[in-house]
Amino acid sequence: MSVRDEQQLRYQVTLVELVDRVLNKGVVVAGDITLSVADVDLVYVGLRVLLSSVATLEEQRERTLAAAGARS
Amino acid sequence: MIHLYALVRGLEELPPLTGIEGAALERRQIGGLDLVVSQTGPELPPVTDEAVLAHASVVEELMARSRAILPARFGRAFANEEELTAAVQTKAPALEHGLSRVRGCVEFGLRVLGHESPRQGSTSLSGVEYMRTRLDEEAERDRLSQELHRPLALLARADARFGGASDDLLHAAYLVPDERTAAFRDRIAGLERLHPELTMVCTGPWPPYSFADSREDA
Repeated sequence: MSVRDEQQLRYQVTLVELVDRVLNKGVVVAGDITLSVADVDLVYVGLRVLLSSVATLEEQRERTLAAAGARS
Repeated sequence: MIHLYALVRGLEELPPLTGIEGAALERRQIGGLDLVVSQTGPELPPVTDEAVLAHASVVEELMARSRAILPARFGRAFANEEELTAAVQTKAPALEHGLSRVRGCVEFGLRVLGHESPRQGSTSLSGVEYMRTRLDEEAERDRLSQELHRPLALLARADARFGGASDDLLHAAYLVPDERTAAFRDRIAGLERLHPELTMVCTGPWPPYSFADSREDA
């Protein structure tokens, strides 16, 4: 694995860990279930969107950097 | 509706940021407990990237400003003040206990990504030999994950291992006292040096999400 792949992987794992914590861990003050089954799908959609938006952000950042490099 | 971010101890003032949907953060004192909430619309806030990140950011900032924090799980809002008050009062002893348990600690997450074991000539194996090989591999995975987990758990006040559908070799969280975080990182680094063939991803320090619910007490 290249250093860049490794960084990307660490970043993505961190995001997955974050979303997992916010949605699945943490104290439930009312003894109720947290999300209905219908919402669970949303969570996974949300997670995919999050991960793909990270990839898009990275691409944009690189394009911006490349463009800035070309100008200077 | 009222969205709950966390219960805190020793919070001097609210962090200068807004919550879900840009709402202002507010404090509530219920049964001797200190809560941080914000008002949302009449519906349960939808699970969006923005909402999840807003919740997480508030919790992070609160952790930096308080002596103890119990992060609340996202996705459960309270209809009104009465419902919030009743829920907190009912659970007050468990919440007090939870705050005491996580006080002075942060959480670290660890994922050791599963690695493919080399299958030499598996096609030439008989059924029995194949099964035996698979069982050996399983035993080896268990042994290895224990070897990684145990020295880390020794440094932690509490630990939690997560199984489930993941094929990670180890997926765990550790509640580590502040004074041992450096030692914990050193131990992770040591394990990485010992096992260059494994991809270990340690994340944190996190607010103690995985140790906030007393029902999951180890």
